[in-house]
Amino acid sequence: MYILKNALQNLVRNSGRNLMMGIIVFVIIISVVTALMINNTAGSVINDYKTRFSSEVTFSPNMQRMQEEARRNSTGGTIRMTPPPAMKPEELLAFGQSEYLQKAIYTAETKGNSDKLKAIDADKGGGGGIMFFRGNASGNTEAESLGQQYFHRVLTNYYEDFENGLRALEEGRFPENINECIISAELLENSGLKVGDTVTVTSVLQELGGESGDMNYTDISWELMIVGVYADITDEYNNDFMQNAYTNRRNEILTTFETIADKMVEGFFGIDITAKYYLKNPDMLDAFTAEVRAKGLSDLYDVFTDAGSYERIVAPVEGLKRISITFVIIVLVFGSIILALLASIAIRERKYEIGVLRAMGMKKMKVVLGLWSETLVITAVCLIFGLGVGMMVAQPVTNVMLKQQIDAAESAQNNNSFSPQGMMTVTSVGMGRVGGGMPGRSDAEPLKELKISLDFITIIEIIAVALFLSSLAGIIATQKIIKYEPIKILMERN
Amino acid sequence: MMENVLTLKNVSYKYEGSKKMVLKNIDAAFEAGKVYTIVGKSGSGKSTLLSLISGLDVVTEGEILCGEIDLKKVNRDNYRARSIGVIFQSFNLLTNATAVQNIVLSMNISESPEKDKKAYAYNLLERMGIDQETADRKILKLSGGEQQRVGIARALAHNPQILIADEPTGNLDVETEKDILAIFTALAHEENRCVIIVTHSRRVTSIADVIYGIQDGKISVVK
Repeated sequence: MYILKNALQNLVRNSGRNLMMGIIVFVIIISVVTALMINNTAGSVINDYKTRFSSEVTFSPNMQRMQEEARRNSTGGTIRMTPPPAMKPEELLAFGQSEYLQKAIYTAETKGNSDKLKAIDADKGGGGGIMFFRGNASGNTEAESLGQQYFHRVLTNYYEDFENGLRALEEGRFPENINECIISAELLENSGLKVGDTVTVTSVLQELGGESGDMNYTDISWELMIVGVYADITDEYNNDFMQNAYTNRRNEILTTFETIADKMVEGFFGIDITAKYYLKNPDMLDAFTAEVRAKGLSDLYDVFTDAGSYERIVAPVEGLKRISITFVIIVLVFGSIILALLASIAIRERKYEIGVLRAMGMKKMKVVLGLWSETLVITAVCLIFGLGVGMMVAQPVTNVMLKQQIDAAESAQNNNSFSPQGMMTVTSVGMGRVGGGMPGRSDAEPLKELKISLDFITIIEIIAVALFLSSLAGIIATQKIIKYEPIKILMERN
Repeated sequence: MMENVLTLKNVSYKYEGSKKMVLKNIDAAFEAGKVYTIVGKSGSGKSTLLSLISGLDVVTEGEILCGEIDLKKVNRDNYRARSIGVIFQSFNLLTNATAVQNIVLSMNISESPEKDKKAYAYNLLERMGIDQETADRKILKLSGGEQQRVGIARALAHNPQILIADEPTGNLDVETEKDILAIFTALAHEENRCVIIVTHSRRVTSIADVIYGIQDGKISVVK
């Protein structure tokens, strides 16, 4: 205890030297606090984006290969591009059975009409027909079930709106088993039904015929039990045109994937299956690609992760992270050297004091402990103020640095804005359709600002750095003091 | 017959890396209640002998017994902290600290059982002629005589039976020297301590009960 008390008294006695030491430690700590806060926050953001973007697998038609294929199959000098072979649902399911995947999410969608469900806005007619639309104003969908006009979208696993608070289960539960569904409160009320009732939903699957182009159809139907009803505050329509019962979101029937997949008929279209695959690690892409090729994926498809979006969104933050960690290393290296020199000079200056203490019988380790306590107190004070000041300056520093990184990233992107392959890309793969889109682009915007926060890990790291700095001084003191013999010090002095 | 508090048996010493013995086969005994002075020319080995007795250095040959215990077999830090008090010619006090802080720190190092160390330190300093106001001054603000009084008080802080002083009046004027010598005499004769003083001064040797002379590294009893 007296060691600490004496250390505190020494801090006051040697205020000039300690103030100088304190200023240097303070500057180091502010720099480290700021840089570590930036680094760790940037690290979390990058990890988050890695999870969201980098590991999602995309199958994309390779336009170059499709053109080559078209040239090979050309007749009479006419080159006719044909879409790549559609992936069958069973193939999509087989692709999902891979040890390289963290998860595979399947969704299914079809169109349907019902005997008991009376669609909202039925007077506006239905939609979703494959070949043609036929007017209908009766509101009784049973009468129209065999036509190419539908009043309901039958969906699976579309529960994001519930997670986002736009929809909420009002009564009952979510579908868990095959042939269970939930519908909106408006649809339930409009149809005069209640939870527990069973409705029949019918649909028609279409077969793409041979070269003649003949169409074949097959009827499918479900007996769905309404197990829940939900309140819906989403807009009824996604846009101002194409407003009919089919596009009205209140008419959606939400069920399980198995319920819809159970009715798939090989070679027939009308049920869209969408698969999303997430790799355990982006580095497993090549292995996964080889596996899906072996399982039948056409060479006309490329397999890749969403690296483009990742780079676009995360590159500025990664730049910021690199700068901050480099800054930490530089500050620590130079700071340590300066502190080591200062500590060395301080010990030399205090050689006489150490000699006196040793002559009085103070043990070497207690002398070291005393000197270390002084540095620890200085570091602790600097740590408290450094954390405060560091937290204040971290955000403005980040804003300036991030802006520079964003500008640099945008500049680099403008110089490299053409896709090297010029490909059409699909981010989801469905049976019977090949959706187009921007090549590998996520909807997410690049980071424009980074909210810096001081988390527990950062605090621990800063304390570790502070302990390292004070221990460095302690180690230097120990090495010097161990060499000192009190008799020699006092004789030199005398 | 008084028991020896300190005994030197056949003590020889040479500095590290040197072949020449600075002290050669020294035998000496020191009793409580007496003032001893060790005299000799510069370089005769007086201060070296003192550093061996005070546990700041270790004998090359022979043994130094504190009571019955060989100094080689004890922790020299503990020996310095608890068994002896050393007074230096150049005082060797912590100059940035106050007089009383020097005493209290010494008591802390020796793990003194005194509960109110500060009060004890003031009292000790007062016995050495340092009032409380002076005791609260930094060492640098004290005169040479005052510093030496503080040095003696510090040496006594842990109540050792043996006091060792190296030219304790070497930096002091005649009047102050008299006061300091009176303190040493009182410590030996009234408090039954063993006071060993290394000196050149005739005035210092005048208070000695026993005088040892050192010449060419060998010791002899002068008085």
